[in-house]
Amino acid sequence: MKRIAIALVATALPLTAFSAPESFTIDPFHSHPHFQVKHLDFMWMTGRFDKMSGKIVMDTAAKSGTVELAIETATVNTGDHEKGPRARARDEHLKQADFFNAAEFPRMTFKGAAARWTGEWPAAIEGQLTLLGVSRPVSLTVENWKCGPDPRTQGKRYMCGGNVSGAVKRSEFGMKFGIPNVSDEIRLMIGLEAFRDQ
Amino acid sequence: MAPLAAGLLLAAALVRLRLSGLAAAGGFLTCAYLMGSLSFWPLTATRKILLLAILSPALGIIADFAFRPHRATGLLLGALFALASVWVFWSVLVQQPLGEAVVLGGGVAAFVFWTVAFTVPFHADPLRAGSTGLALGLGTGIGAILGASAVLGLFGIALAAGTGGFLLVAVISGKRVSGGMTLALSVSVISALIGAGALVLAKSPWWSLVLLALVPLAARLPIPEREYAWQALVVSLYTLAVAVAYCVLDWSFGA
Repeated sequence: MKRIAIALVATALPLTAFSAPESFTIDPFHSHPHFQVKHLDFMWMTGRFDKMSGKIVMDTAAKSGTVELAIETATVNTGDHEKGPRARARDEHLKQADFFNAAEFPRMTFKGAAARWTGEWPAAIEGQLTLLGVSRPVSLTVENWKCGPDPRTQGKRYMCGGNVSGAVKRSEFGMKFGIPNVSDEIRLMIGLEAFRDQ
Repeated sequence: MAPLAAGLLLAAALVRLRLSGLAAAGGFLTCAYLMGSLSFWPLTATRKILLLAILSPALGIIADFAFRPHRATGLLLGALFALASVWVFWSVLVQQPLGEAVVLGGGVAAFVFWTVAFTVPFHADPLRAGSTGLALGLGTGIGAILGASAVLGLFGIALAAGTGGFLLVAVISGKRVSGGMTLALSVSVISALIGAGALVLAKSPWWSLVLLALVPLAARLPIPEREYAWQALVVSLYTLAVAVAYCVLDWSFGA
């Protein structure tokens, strides 16, 4: 009887460990938030932020999880950073008070929780985006999410990754300059990879 | 055009009440209203500038009607608004390394002190006060645009337009329209904060403040004893020459 009890406990222990919340740290070299903004109502222009950090906590058994992202606003990059003969380059303008006001608000943050799961992976995140000192609720859709061993380390490192997308109205955060020539609606597309903390 | 119209209207309509000096702040606030910027939450540095743009003419009205200006009034008001400028940019300064924050905050406070202290004595000389506001508004406005902030740029140009409205009314009426402390304080405080904002929040070079500080000095140059309109033209040329020189240098050597 005693042996059976020990065997049961021994069998259950790994399961308990697996179902516990796991913490992941964002891989800054492969995770970049991209955005799209409509220019003059003609085309959706794409830009990105070069620097982002964050944490993900997931409990796949309990189907719960949280995500915290911090994006350095001064790293905004739309591919136009040479001033040339103009008064200013677009990326320089985006960093200043008319748009991201990076001197005063160097970071925008997103804090959210998995709101819907499809199978074993999260499918939607609800959270608060804080930009220019204003916090607003934002819903993000998760696609292609999966977790598994990092093939570059022969499975020694465990990672998760996928694509997250959504949309916000920048005027709700007080960023009103240039509307409607530069659209109010901003599309967000974030590619995420994160390594499980040891 | 709207800030100029607001300046003209306010300057002309309030002559009898001796409140024509409200034209400058009126032009500025008209622009802020049309741009949808007249909100105060969250209280960012730009919104603090808007708050002080409302407070400074209000304080000027009180000073005009309740106090007799003293020789030290300019220094006192300069010190007061220098402290206020540190409050305006506090959210940026606290994020800098201590040494840089002290240099930046100290430089901004010194510029605001200088501009206010040297413009307030023009409270009894509407032409010098008006031409100082015109040049500082244009200089800080164009400088802010070159420094990559169109919002601050439009604010500066609107201040210049409102002040221009005041000057036009003074010249057309051909008599001394009272600007008082209302005009002197509002043009100096608002323009100094826009200039400082272009340095702290945008990319204006540090020497922009040094050059713009010469505007109130240029307004002190002697003007000929001729018709009022001629005097207005001469003193405006003095101050605008400094502003134009600054803009040319900023375009050529700025960031």
